[in-house]
Amino acid sequence: MTHSLHRRGDVESLRRDYVLLFTPAAGINHEGSHEKLEKIVDIVAEAGPTNIGSYDVKKNIYDGITIEDVKKNLRMSKVPRVRCCFSDKNKVLQVLKKVKEGDFGISVTVSGLIDEVLNMSKEINCKPHSINLSLGVWGRTEKLPDETIMEIVTMCGHGLLSKALVKKEAELVRKGKKSIRQAAEELARPCTCGIVNVDRAQDIISRWIARDM
Amino acid sequence: MRIDQELCICCLKCLPYCPVDAIINGPEGVYIDQELCAECGTCLRTAGCPTGALQEPEDVYKEPRSVRKFFSDPTTTHKETMIPGRGTEEVKTNDVTGRVKRGQVGIGIEMGRPVLGTKMTEVEKITMRLAQMGIQLEHNNPLFYLIDDPQKGTLKSWVKNERVVSCIVEFEIPFDMLKEVLQAIKELANEIDTVFSLDVVSRFDENGNIPTIPVLEELGICYRPNAKINLGLGRPLREE
Repeated sequence: MTHSLHRRGDVESLRRDYVLLFTPAAGINHEGSHEKLEKIVDIVAEAGPTNIGSYDVKKNIYDGITIEDVKKNLRMSKVPRVRCCFSDKNKVLQVLKKVKEGDFGISVTVSGLIDEVLNMSKEINCKPHSINLSLGVWGRTEKLPDETIMEIVTMCGHGLLSKALVKKEAELVRKGKKSIRQAAEELARPCTCGIVNVDRAQDIISRWIARDM
Repeated sequence: MRIDQELCICCLKCLPYCPVDAIINGPEGVYIDQELCAECGTCLRTAGCPTGALQEPEDVYKEPRSVRKFFSDPTTTHKETMIPGRGTEEVKTNDVTGRVKRGQVGIGIEMGRPVLGTKMTEVEKITMRLAQMGIQLEHNNPLFYLIDDPQKGTLKSWVKNERVVSCIVEFEIPFDMLKEVLQAIKELANEIDTVFSLDVVSRFDENGNIPTIPVLEELGICYRPNAKINLGLGRPLREE
Protein backbone atom coordinates (compact mmCIF):
# COMPACT_ATOMS: atom_id res chain seq x y z
CA MET A 1 0.00 0.00 0.00
CA THR A 2 0.90 3.49 -0.04
CA HIS A 3 3.48 4.83 -2.39
CA SER A 4 2.20 8.40 -2.00
CA LEU A 5 1.25 8.09 1.66
CA HIS A 6 4.28 8.18 3.92
CA ARG A 7 5.65 11.62 3.00
CA ARG A 8 7.45 13.29 5.88
CA GLY A 9 7.50 16.94 6.83
CA ASP A 10 5.57 19.38 8.98
CA VAL A 11 2.13 20.74 8.20
CA GLU A 12 3.44 23.96 6.66
CA SER A 13 5.67 22.08 4.24
CA LEU A 14 2.88 19.63 3.38
CA ARG A 15 0.53 22.47 2.49
CA ARG A 16 2.42 22.60 -0.81
CA ASP A 17 2.23 18.88 -1.51
CA TYR A 18 -0.59 16.94 -3.14
CA VAL A 19 -0.34 13.69 -5.05
CA LEU A 20 -3.16 12.68 -7.38
CA LEU A 21 -3.60 9.10 -8.54
CA PHE A 22 -6.07 8.08 -11.23
CA THR A 23 -6.40 4.30 -11.18
CA PRO A 24 -8.70 1.91 -13.03
CA ALA A 25 -9.40 -1.26 -11.03
CA ALA A 26 -7.69 -4.18 -12.77
CA GLY A 27 -10.27 -6.72 -13.89
CA ILE A 28 -13.25 -4.47 -13.08
CA ASN A 29 -13.19 -1.24 -15.05
CA HIS A 30 -9.80 -1.16 -16.76
CA GLU A 31 -11.23 -2.11 -20.16
CA GLY A 32 -11.77 1.11 -22.10
CA SER A 33 -10.01 3.24 -19.51
CA HIS A 34 -7.28 4.45 -21.87
CA GLU A 35 -9.39 7.11 -23.51
CA LYS A 36 -10.67 8.34 -20.16
CA LEU A 37 -7.17 8.64 -18.79
CA GLU A 38 -6.05 10.51 -21.89
CA LYS A 39 -8.75 13.08 -21.15
CA ILE A 40 -7.65 13.20 -17.52
CA VAL A 41 -4.04 13.84 -18.59
CA ASP A 42 -5.33 16.79 -20.64
CA ILE A 43 -7.08 18.18 -17.56
CA VAL A 44 -3.94 17.70 -15.44
CA ALA A 45 -1.76 19.30 -18.13
CA GLU A 46 -4.02 22.34 -18.35
CA ALA A 47 -3.72 22.90 -14.59
CA GLY A 48 0.08 22.57 -14.69
CA PRO A 49 1.37 19.79 -12.41
CA THR A 50 4.63 20.04 -10.52
CA ASN A 51 5.49 16.58 -11.79
CA ILE A 52 3.90 13.73 -13.72
CA GLY A 53 5.32 10.37 -14.71
CA SER A 54 4.74 7.45 -16.99
CA TYR A 55 4.93 3.80 -15.99
CA ASP A 56 4.87 3.04 -19.68
CA VAL A 57 8.14 4.74 -20.62
CA LYS A 58 9.57 4.58 -17.09
CA LYS A 59 10.29 8.28 -16.94
CA ASN A 60 8.86 11.56 -15.68
CA ILE A 61 8.86 15.09 -17.08
CA TYR A 62 12.29 15.83 -15.54
CA ASP A 63 13.78 12.79 -17.21
CA GLY A 64 13.28 13.50 -20.87
CA ILE A 65 9.58 13.15 -21.59
CA THR A 66 6.71 15.61 -21.97
CA ILE A 67 3.16 15.46 -20.67
CA GLU A 68 2.13 14.72 -24.26
CA ASP A 69 4.40 11.65 -24.12
CA VAL A 70 2.71 10.54 -20.90
CA LYS A 71 -0.64 10.71 -22.68
CA LYS A 72 0.57 9.12 -25.91
CA ASN A 73 2.09 6.13 -24.14
CA LEU A 74 -0.84 5.21 -21.90
CA ARG A 75 -1.93 2.66 -24.49
CA MET A 76 1.26 0.67 -23.92
CA SER A 77 -0.22 -0.66 -20.67
CA LYS A 78 -3.08 -3.09 -20.31
CA VAL A 79 -4.08 -1.29 -17.11
CA PRO A 80 -3.02 2.34 -17.58
CA ARG A 81 -2.50 4.67 -14.63
CA VAL A 82 -1.83 8.37 -14.16
CA ARG A 83 0.24 9.70 -11.26
CA CYS A 84 1.11 13.36 -10.73
CA CYS A 85 1.70 15.94 -8.05
CA PHE A 86 0.94 19.58 -7.42
CA SER A 87 2.25 22.22 -5.06
CA ASP A 88 -0.76 24.53 -5.49
CA LYS A 89 -4.03 23.57 -3.82
CA ASN A 90 -6.06 25.67 -6.25
CA LYS A 91 -4.71 23.70 -9.18
CA VAL A 92 -5.69 20.46 -7.47
CA LEU A 93 -9.17 21.80 -7.00
CA GLN A 94 -9.33 22.82 -10.65
CA VAL A 95 -8.39 19.27 -11.70
CA LEU A 96 -10.82 17.61 -9.31
CA LYS A 97 -13.72 19.80 -10.43
CA LYS A 98 -13.15 18.93 -14.07
CA VAL A 99 -12.62 15.24 -13.40
CA LYS A 100 -15.84 15.12 -11.42
CA GLU A 101 -17.68 16.92 -14.22
CA GLY A 102 -16.19 14.48 -16.72
CA ASP A 103 -17.74 11.58 -14.77
CA PHE A 104 -15.04 9.19 -15.98
CA GLY A 105 -15.73 6.55 -13.34
CA ILE A 106 -12.01 6.13 -12.68
CA SER A 107 -10.96 5.99 -9.02
CA VAL A 108 -9.25 9.13 -7.77
CA THR A 109 -7.13 9.38 -4.65
CA VAL A 110 -5.56 12.52 -3.28
CA SER A 111 -2.66 12.30 -0.85
CA GLY A 112 -2.23 15.42 1.22
CA LEU A 113 -3.21 17.08 4.48
CA ILE A 114 -6.39 15.39 5.68
CA ASP A 115 -8.31 18.59 6.43
CA GLU A 116 -7.36 20.16 3.11
CA VAL A 117 -8.35 17.13 1.06
CA LEU A 118 -11.66 16.76 2.89
CA ASN A 119 -12.39 20.45 2.29
CA MET A 120 -11.69 19.94 -1.41
CA SER A 121 -14.08 17.02 -1.53
CA LYS A 122 -16.76 19.28 -0.05
CA GLU A 123 -16.04 21.94 -2.63
CA ILE A 124 -16.55 19.51 -5.49
CA ASN A 125 -19.50 17.94 -3.71
CA CYS A 126 -18.26 14.38 -3.50
CA LYS A 127 -18.44 11.92 -0.64
CA PRO A 128 -14.99 10.50 0.22
CA HIS A 129 -15.07 6.73 0.28
CA SER A 130 -11.98 5.44 2.12
CA ILE A 131 -8.89 6.73 3.84
CA ASN A 132 -5.40 5.36 4.36
CA LEU A 133 -3.76 6.80 7.49
CA SER A 134 0.00 6.75 7.93
CA LEU A 135 1.10 5.67 11.40
CA GLY A 136 4.71 6.63 10.75
CA VAL A 137 7.95 4.67 10.83
CA TRP A 138 8.64 1.86 13.33
CA GLY A 139 11.59 -0.36 14.17
CA ARG A 140 15.25 0.61 13.89
CA THR A 141 14.58 4.31 13.28
CA GLU A 142 17.99 5.22 14.71
CA LYS A 143 19.49 3.97 11.44
CA LEU A 144 17.62 6.57 9.36
CA PRO A 145 19.17 9.77 8.02
CA ASP A 146 18.22 13.16 9.43
CA GLU A 147 14.74 14.54 8.98
CA THR A 148 15.61 16.98 6.16
CA ILE A 149 16.87 14.14 4.00
CA MET A 150 13.86 12.05 4.99
CA GLU A 151 11.51 14.82 3.84
CA ILE A 152 13.02 14.64 0.37
CA VAL A 153 13.57 10.92 -0.09
CA THR A 154 10.07 9.94 1.12
CA MET A 155 8.59 11.84 -1.81
CA CYS A 156 9.52 8.83 -3.93
CA GLY A 157 7.20 6.24 -2.48
CA HIS A 158 9.03 3.34 -4.08
CA GLY A 159 12.21 4.33 -2.26
CA LEU A 160 14.26 4.94 -5.40
CA LEU A 161 15.58 8.36 -4.43
CA SER A 162 18.78 7.81 -2.46
CA LYS A 163 20.04 9.78 0.51
CA ALA A 164 23.44 9.93 -1.22
CA LEU A 165 21.96 11.76 -4.20
CA VAL A 166 20.24 14.26 -1.90
CA LYS A 167 23.54 14.96 -0.15
CA LYS A 168 25.41 15.24 -3.43
CA GLU A 169 22.93 17.68 -4.99
CA ALA A 170 22.83 19.85 -1.86
CA GLU A 171 26.62 19.94 -1.92
CA LEU A 172 26.64 21.04 -5.57
CA VAL A 173 24.29 23.89 -4.64
CA ARG A 174 26.49 24.90 -1.72
CA LYS A 175 29.51 25.00 -4.02
CA GLY A 176 27.62 27.16 -6.51
CA LYS A 177 27.77 24.50 -9.23
CA LYS A 178 24.02 24.12 -9.50
CA SER A 179 20.97 26.23 -8.78
CA ILE A 180 18.54 24.96 -6.16
CA ARG A 181 16.00 24.36 -8.92
CA GLN A 182 18.46 22.29 -10.97
CA ALA A 183 19.25 20.19 -7.92
CA ALA A 184 15.54 19.66 -7.15
CA GLU A 185 14.89 18.56 -10.73
CA GLU A 186 17.76 16.07 -10.60
CA LEU A 187 16.30 14.62 -7.41
CA ALA A 188 13.00 14.04 -9.21
CA ARG A 189 14.54 11.86 -11.94
CA PRO A 190 14.77 8.48 -10.14
CA CYS A 191 11.04 8.52 -9.32
CA THR A 192 9.45 7.04 -12.43
CA CYS A 193 5.91 7.64 -11.13
CA GLY A 194 6.54 11.38 -11.18
CA ILE A 195 5.43 12.15 -7.65
CA VAL A 196 8.56 13.85 -6.32
CA ASN A 197 7.29 17.37 -5.84
CA VAL A 198 10.04 19.50 -7.33
CA ASP A 199 8.70 22.77 -5.91
CA ARG A 200 8.69 21.29 -2.44
CA ALA A 201 12.14 19.73 -2.89
CA GLN A 202 13.34 23.20 -3.85
CA ASP A 203 11.81 24.66 -0.66
CA ILE A 204 13.41 21.98 1.51
CA ILE A 205 16.88 22.42 -0.01
CA SER A 206 16.61 26.21 0.35
CA ARG A 207 15.67 25.84 4.00
CA TRP A 208 18.48 23.33 4.56
CA ILE A 209 21.14 25.52 3.01
CA ALA A 210 19.92 28.65 4.80
CA ARG A 211 20.03 26.77 8.11
CA ASP A 212 23.62 25.64 7.53
CA MET A 213 24.92 29.09 6.58
CA MET B 1 22.83 -5.20 -11.73
CA ARG B 2 26.42 -5.67 -12.67
CA ILE B 3 29.26 -3.48 -13.85
CA ASP B 4 31.33 -4.64 -16.81
CA GLN B 5 34.86 -4.03 -15.57
CA GLU B 6 36.16 -3.86 -19.14
CA LEU B 7 33.87 -0.95 -19.92
CA CYS B 8 33.85 0.92 -16.60
CA ILE B 9 36.01 4.06 -16.57
CA CYS B 10 35.50 4.65 -12.83
CA CYS B 11 33.82 8.02 -13.36
CA LEU B 12 31.76 7.29 -10.21
CA LYS B 13 28.70 8.93 -11.74
CA CYS B 14 26.49 6.02 -10.74
CA LEU B 15 27.43 5.86 -7.06
CA PRO B 16 24.98 8.36 -5.54
CA TYR B 17 21.97 7.05 -7.48
CA CYS B 18 21.85 3.69 -5.71
CA PRO B 19 19.14 3.79 -3.00
CA VAL B 20 20.69 0.89 -1.09
CA ASP B 21 24.39 1.86 -1.31
CA ALA B 22 25.26 -1.26 -3.28
CA ILE B 23 27.68 0.38 -5.73
CA ILE B 24 31.15 0.16 -4.24
CA ASN B 25 34.27 2.04 -5.28
CA GLY B 26 36.88 -0.54 -4.28
CA PRO B 27 40.63 -0.89 -4.86
CA GLU B 28 39.96 -3.19 -7.82
CA GLY B 29 37.47 -0.80 -9.40
CA VAL B 30 33.78 0.00 -9.15
CA TYR B 31 31.52 -2.99 -8.57
CA ILE B 32 28.05 -3.85 -7.33
CA ASP B 33 27.71 -5.74 -4.09
CA GLN B 34 25.36 -8.54 -5.13
CA GLU B 35 24.15 -9.10 -1.58
CA LEU B 36 23.10 -5.46 -1.17
CA CYS B 37 21.78 -4.80 -4.68
CA ALA B 38 17.97 -4.90 -4.73
CA GLU B 39 17.77 -4.93 -8.56
CA CYS B 40 15.63 -1.78 -8.60
CA GLY B 41 17.31 -0.67 -11.83
CA THR B 42 17.59 2.98 -10.73
CA CYS B 43 21.28 3.21 -11.64
CA LEU B 44 20.62 1.88 -15.14
CA ARG B 45 17.66 4.20 -15.77
CA THR B 46 18.98 7.35 -14.16
CA ALA B 47 22.74 7.56 -13.71
CA GLY B 48 23.57 7.86 -17.41
CA CYS B 49 26.58 5.54 -17.49
CA PRO B 50 28.71 6.98 -20.31
CA THR B 51 30.15 3.66 -21.47
CA GLY B 52 27.30 1.20 -20.98
CA ALA B 53 29.20 -0.56 -18.21
CA LEU B 54 26.08 -0.80 -16.04
CA GLN B 55 24.20 -3.86 -17.19
CA GLU B 56 21.21 -5.86 -16.11
CA PRO B 57 21.84 -9.61 -16.33
CA GLU B 58 18.94 -11.77 -17.54
CA ASP B 59 18.93 -13.75 -14.31
CA VAL B 60 17.22 -10.89 -12.46
CA TYR B 61 13.95 -12.15 -13.94
CA LYS B 62 14.57 -15.71 -12.71
CA GLU B 63 14.25 -17.10 -9.20
CA PRO B 64 15.63 -16.22 -6.71
CA ARG B 65 16.90 -12.87 -8.03
CA SER B 66 13.42 -12.08 -9.41
CA VAL B 67 12.19 -11.48 -5.87
CA ARG B 68 14.51 -8.49 -5.66
CA LYS B 69 13.48 -7.27 -9.09
CA PHE B 70 9.71 -7.49 -8.73
CA PHE B 71 9.58 -6.03 -5.24
CA SER B 72 12.07 -3.23 -5.82
CA ASP B 73 11.46 -2.05 -9.37
CA PRO B 74 8.06 -0.35 -9.86
CA THR B 75 8.51 -0.45 -13.62
CA THR B 76 7.98 -4.21 -13.58
CA THR B 77 4.49 -5.69 -13.46
CA HIS B 78 3.63 -8.89 -11.69
CA LYS B 79 2.01 -11.36 -14.06
CA GLU B 80 -0.37 -12.64 -11.37
CA THR B 81 -1.71 -9.29 -10.20
CA MET B 82 -1.26 -7.01 -13.25
CA ILE B 83 -0.06 -4.39 -10.76
CA PRO B 84 3.32 -2.65 -10.97
CA GLY B 85 5.67 -2.72 -8.00
CA ARG B 86 5.40 -4.40 -4.64
CA GLY B 87 1.88 -3.55 -3.56
CA THR B 88 -1.71 -3.63 -4.66
CA GLU B 89 -4.35 -1.12 -5.69
CA GLU B 90 -5.49 -1.03 -2.00
CA VAL B 91 -7.27 2.25 -1.17
CA LYS B 92 -6.59 3.57 -4.68
CA THR B 93 -9.54 1.62 -6.10
CA ASN B 94 -11.40 0.66 -2.94
CA ASP B 95 -14.48 2.57 -4.14
CA VAL B 96 -14.75 0.09 -7.04
CA THR B 97 -13.29 -3.12 -5.59
CA GLY B 98 -14.93 -2.83 -2.19
CA ARG B 99 -11.94 -4.61 -0.75
CA VAL B 100 -11.99 -2.91 2.65
CA LYS B 101 -15.60 -2.75 3.77
CA ARG B 102 -17.28 -1.05 6.68
CA GLY B 103 -16.48 -3.09 9.80
CA GLN B 104 -13.06 -3.99 8.40
CA VAL B 105 -9.61 -2.45 8.45
CA GLY B 106 -6.83 -2.90 5.91
CA ILE B 107 -3.31 -2.86 7.29
CA GLY B 108 -0.04 -2.37 5.44
CA ILE B 109 3.31 -3.02 7.09
CA GLU B 110 5.82 -1.79 4.56
CA MET B 111 9.05 -3.49 5.52
CA GLY B 112 12.29 -1.68 4.68
CA ARG B 113 10.65 1.63 3.97
CA PRO B 114 12.02 4.23 4.19
CA VAL B 115 15.68 4.09 3.18
CA LEU B 116 16.93 0.88 4.82
CA GLY B 117 15.49 -1.90 2.66
CA THR B 118 14.93 -5.33 4.11
CA LYS B 119 15.97 -8.93 3.92
CA MET B 120 13.07 -11.30 3.40
CA THR B 121 13.96 -13.05 6.66
CA GLU B 122 12.83 -9.88 8.44
CA VAL B 123 9.56 -10.00 6.51
CA GLU B 124 9.08 -13.58 7.64
CA LYS B 125 9.18 -12.49 11.29
CA ILE B 126 6.04 -10.48 10.58
CA THR B 127 4.25 -13.08 8.46
CA MET B 128 4.86 -15.81 11.05
CA ARG B 129 3.43 -13.71 13.87
CA LEU B 130 0.38 -12.81 11.79
CA ALA B 131 -0.17 -16.47 10.92
CA GLN B 132 -0.16 -17.30 14.64
CA MET B 133 -2.99 -14.79 14.99
CA GLY B 134 -4.93 -16.49 12.20
CA ILE B 135 -4.48 -13.59 9.80
CA GLN B 136 -4.37 -14.30 6.07
CA LEU B 137 -2.36 -12.12 3.71
CA GLU B 138 -3.94 -10.19 0.84
CA HIS B 139 -3.86 -12.52 -2.17
CA ASN B 140 -3.36 -9.69 -4.68
CA ASN B 141 -0.08 -8.74 -3.04
CA PRO B 142 2.92 -10.51 -4.62
CA LEU B 143 4.13 -11.56 -1.17
CA PHE B 144 1.19 -13.98 -1.04
CA TYR B 145 2.84 -16.07 -3.77
CA LEU B 146 6.06 -16.42 -1.77
CA ILE B 147 4.47 -17.96 1.32
CA ASP B 148 5.40 -21.61 1.76
CA ASP B 149 3.11 -22.59 4.64
CA PRO B 150 0.14 -20.25 5.17
CA GLN B 151 -0.58 -21.85 8.57
CA LYS B 152 2.90 -20.97 9.83
CA GLY B 153 3.53 -17.86 7.70
CA THR B 154 6.90 -19.18 6.55
CA LEU B 155 8.43 -18.10 3.24
CA LYS B 156 9.67 -20.44 0.54
CA SER B 157 13.25 -21.36 1.31
CA TRP B 158 14.72 -19.85 -1.88
CA VAL B 159 13.17 -16.46 -1.02
CA LYS B 160 14.63 -15.98 2.43
CA ASN B 161 18.09 -14.68 1.56
CA GLU B 162 16.83 -12.11 -0.90
CA ARG B 163 16.94 -8.39 -0.20
CA VAL B 164 14.46 -5.79 -1.44
CA VAL B 165 13.91 -2.03 -1.29
CA SER B 166 10.60 -2.74 0.40
CA CYS B 167 7.95 -5.41 0.80
CA ILE B 168 4.42 -4.73 1.96
CA VAL B 169 2.77 -7.17 4.32
CA GLU B 170 -0.84 -6.44 3.55
CA PHE B 171 -4.04 -7.85 5.01
CA GLU B 172 -7.56 -7.12 6.14
CA ILE B 173 -8.99 -7.79 9.58
CA PRO B 174 -12.35 -7.33 11.28
CA PHE B 175 -12.48 -3.93 12.96
CA ASP B 176 -12.69 -5.47 16.43
CA MET B 177 -9.24 -7.07 15.96
CA LEU B 178 -7.54 -3.74 15.30
CA LYS B 179 -6.34 -3.10 18.83
CA GLU B 180 -4.91 -6.59 19.28
CA VAL B 181 -3.15 -6.49 15.90
CA LEU B 182 -1.63 -3.05 16.47
CA GLN B 183 -0.30 -4.17 19.84
CA ALA B 184 1.32 -7.18 18.17
CA ILE B 185 2.84 -4.92 15.51
CA LYS B 186 4.24 -2.65 18.25
CA GLU B 187 6.00 -5.68 19.74
CA LEU B 188 7.29 -6.80 16.35
CA ALA B 189 8.88 -3.38 15.82
CA ASN B 190 11.33 -4.29 18.57
CA GLU B 191 12.23 -7.61 16.98
CA ILE B 192 13.19 -6.59 13.46
CA ASP B 193 16.53 -5.37 12.14
CA THR B 194 15.08 -2.75 9.81
CA VAL B 195 12.21 -0.25 9.75
CA PHE B 196 8.68 -0.38 8.47
CA SER B 197 6.10 2.23 7.57
CA LEU B 198 2.68 1.38 8.91
CA ASP B 199 -0.74 2.31 7.60
CA VAL B 200 -4.40 1.55 8.18
CA VAL B 201 -7.17 1.74 5.60
CA SER B 202 -10.82 2.14 6.46
CA ARG B 203 -14.08 3.32 4.98
CA PHE B 204 -15.36 6.65 6.25
CA ASP B 205 -18.44 6.03 8.38
CA GLU B 206 -21.91 7.27 7.40
CA ASN B 207 -21.18 10.64 9.04
CA GLY B 208 -17.84 11.09 7.33
CA ASN B 209 -15.82 10.18 10.43
CA ILE B 210 -12.66 8.06 10.40
CA PRO B 211 -13.44 5.02 12.57
CA THR B 212 -9.84 4.00 13.23
CA ILE B 213 -8.88 7.24 15.00
CA PRO B 214 -10.46 6.51 18.43
CA VAL B 215 -8.62 3.16 18.56
CA LEU B 216 -5.31 4.79 17.66
CA GLU B 217 -5.85 7.46 20.31
CA GLU B 218 -6.65 4.81 22.91
CA LEU B 219 -3.40 2.99 22.11
CA GLY B 220 -1.38 6.22 22.06
CA ILE B 221 -0.46 5.75 18.42
CA CYS B 222 -0.03 8.98 16.48
CA TYR B 223 -1.16 9.30 12.88
CA ARG B 224 0.34 11.67 10.35
CA PRO B 225 -1.55 14.84 9.32
CA ASN B 226 -1.32 13.77 5.69
CA ALA B 227 -3.23 10.78 4.37
CA LYS B 228 -4.34 9.15 1.16
CA ILE B 229 -8.02 9.64 0.47
CA ASN B 230 -10.17 7.88 -2.08
CA LEU B 231 -12.74 10.43 -3.23
CA GLY B 232 -15.37 7.89 -4.26
CA LEU B 233 -15.43 8.89 -7.93
CA GLY B 234 -14.87 5.37 -9.33
CA ARG B 235 -17.70 3.45 -10.98
CA PRO B 236 -19.40 1.09 -10.42
CA LEU B 237 -19.33 2.33 -6.83
CA ARG B 238 -19.14 -0.39 -4.21
CA GLU B 239 -20.85 0.98 -1.15
CA GLU B 240 -20.32 -2.24 0.78
